[in-house]
Amino acid sequence: MLYREAGQFKTSYSADQSIFPIRQDRIALVLFGLVAVLAVPALASNYFLETIFVPFLVFAMAAIGLNILTGYCGQLSLGTGGFMACGAFFSYKLAIAFPDLHIIVVFLLAGFGTAAVGVLFGVPSLRIKGFYLAVATLAAQFFLVWVFNKFGWWTNYSPSGVISAPPREIFPGFAVTGAQADPITKYLFLLAFVALLALMAKNLVRSSIGRSWMAIRDMDIAAEIIGIRPLWAKLSAFAVSSFYIGIAGALWAFVYTGSVEALAFQIDRSFQVLFMVIIGGLGSILGSFLGAAFIVLLPILLNNAPGLLGLRISVELISHLEFMIFGGLIIFFLIVEPHGLARLWQIGKEKLRLWPFPY
Amino acid sequence: MSYGEKHIGETLLKVDNITLAFGGVKALSDISFEIRKHEILAIIGPNGAGKTSMLNVINGFYHPQQGRIEFRGVERRAMRPHLAARQGIARTFQNVALFKGMSTLDNIMTGRTLKMKSNIFQQAIYWGANQREEIAHREVVEKIIDFLEIEAIRKTPVGRLPYGLQKRVELARALAMEPDLLLLDEPMAGMNVEEKEDMCRFVLDVNDEFGTTIALIEHDMGVVMDISDRVVVLDYGRKLADGTPAVVRANQDVIDAYLGVSH
Ligand SMILES: Nc1ncnc2c1ncn2[C@@H]1O[C@H](COP(=O)(O)OP(=O)(O)O)[C@@H](O)[C@H]1O
Ligand SMILES: [Mg+2]
Repeated sequence: MLYREAGQFKTSYSADQSIFPIRQDRIALVLFGLVAVLAVPALASNYFLETIFVPFLVFAMAAIGLNILTGYCGQLSLGTGGFMACGAFFSYKLAIAFPDLHIIVVFLLAGFGTAAVGVLFGVPSLRIKGFYLAVATLAAQFFLVWVFNKFGWWTNYSPSGVISAPPREIFPGFAVTGAQADPITKYLFLLAFVALLALMAKNLVRSSIGRSWMAIRDMDIAAEIIGIRPLWAKLSAFAVSSFYIGIAGALWAFVYTGSVEALAFQIDRSFQVLFMVIIGGLGSILGSFLGAAFIVLLPILLNNAPGLLGLRISVELISHLEFMIFGGLIIFFLIVEPHGLARLWQIGKEKLRLWPFPY
Repeated sequence: MSYGEKHIGETLLKVDNITLAFGGVKALSDISFEIRKHEILAIIGPNGAGKTSMLNVINGFYHPQQGRIEFRGVERRAMRPHLAARQGIARTFQNVALFKGMSTLDNIMTGRTLKMKSNIFQQAIYWGANQREEIAHREVVEKIIDFLEIEAIRKTPVGRLPYGLQKRVELARALAMEPDLLLLDEPMAGMNVEEKEDMCRFVLDVNDEFGTTIALIEHDMGVVMDISDRVVVLDYGRKLADGTPAVVRANQDVIDAYLGVSH
């Protein structure tokens, strides 16, 4: 009886089209926001902020990006790592070359630059699909990492190939990058930035461009007869997707790790984000967050749970277990529930709506 | 907004000596006919006669080896389907071609894509211009939903709908384009009697209320004779006859090739 839409009648199309049409969802969102803004910084230690909350938000951003391309537009990509590298190195070069540029502008410009690269590597999608496209994006992945590794210009000729994020402030006195940055500031900045960009992604997928992406995904021939140009739909998906992934790469280098080398963005990074999208739910912005949370939390859980239960398990076994659990889950979600955790969440809500009646 | 006395006007689309071959197979040989404004034209013929191929040529999916197509007096050569859509040609498919992962409402909203003008940044921000546009087009779509009596399935993913309703949603999506020429490939195939009657009524109402020109492929001769203004008969890629239902029914070639034999 608690979670009901009964009695909440939509009297206008704008009310019906809102993101959270059910009042309980809106209340939950506000509560969730309060916890995220007030409780987490107050209660979580710096260690937890740096190892769980910050990477979670960065990964969520990358997962949103890949979900737009793969989940919404149906174009499989294994180039996520390469595009994250673009965002990281573009923002590094920009931040060094223009020290006065505000850090948010740097991130956004790096995102736009990555979008351009994404469009370039998206061109083959006009001719090839599925597995073959995945191979083409794999080529992008290897090529991009090679470029950033090979040419010292990208790292300002740092002998180790590692770039270190210069210190930058979001507001005067509040550093978000560099060694002096406070984890709470970092976390709150990421929370606001990622939430805002996630909202924009949600807006896109519920507007005409998002419907065009899904139309191309579901049946490209039918999309074409209603006037959707496959060229425009696919390349815009590559652009928007790469924009998000590029910014995620920039956040990774600047806010999460603080220093990074191209090898941090190798093919396993691409797979890691792909797993988030599959487990969280293809074609769901919420799913991108759930998948990111899951993949960030699982290893931590596996490392601590046996100890708490009084079991002694070797470190190697734990990392093997991690792989096995991921593998099993990927297969489960691909076969049984392609819409992932987001769908399970929705089913749970539907059950709750009918509760206490089973049907 | 009834047209009352139906006024069939000048030629809207003209195909001239169209020949289309796949390797050695001639799907269409030297076909010519025209579609006139505001009429309902039926294209009939046995399976494999080339009916669907004809729609695919008009629609820009297939590019004929010979012949010309004139639409609204302008000759055109090969074009892509999305350009045909831009010129006001909509269609449905013999096998339903809906967007399976989307709701009924979203499927129909995709039909409005060409009419929506907000750019990508306005859409990302949503509030303001894009929201006004979404609401305006939603209103149009809701009228179509009322018209086709599919209010109850608005939010249902189309993959879960029974076949007859899927066909109706596909028609709704085509209507959302507000086309000048509507091509329907076997809109009543696989339907029961009641569903067929509904669909006939919708086709007639669309033609009557919006003045849309319709070319449809149909096997049920009863339906064809009832609703069409003119009939084109194809057989093995050739045109056998072309005229009013009464004239076509009396044509000996047609009787021999098609009507005489039960299908
Ligand atoms: N894409 C294609 N490739 C090869 N042959 C085709 C293709 N499309 C249609 N045909 C052939 O053209 C002929 C006419 O087919 P079609 O137009 O589908 O007939 P109808 O719709 O009248 O049943 C058939 O012999 C069919 O095999
Ligand atoms: Mg056919």
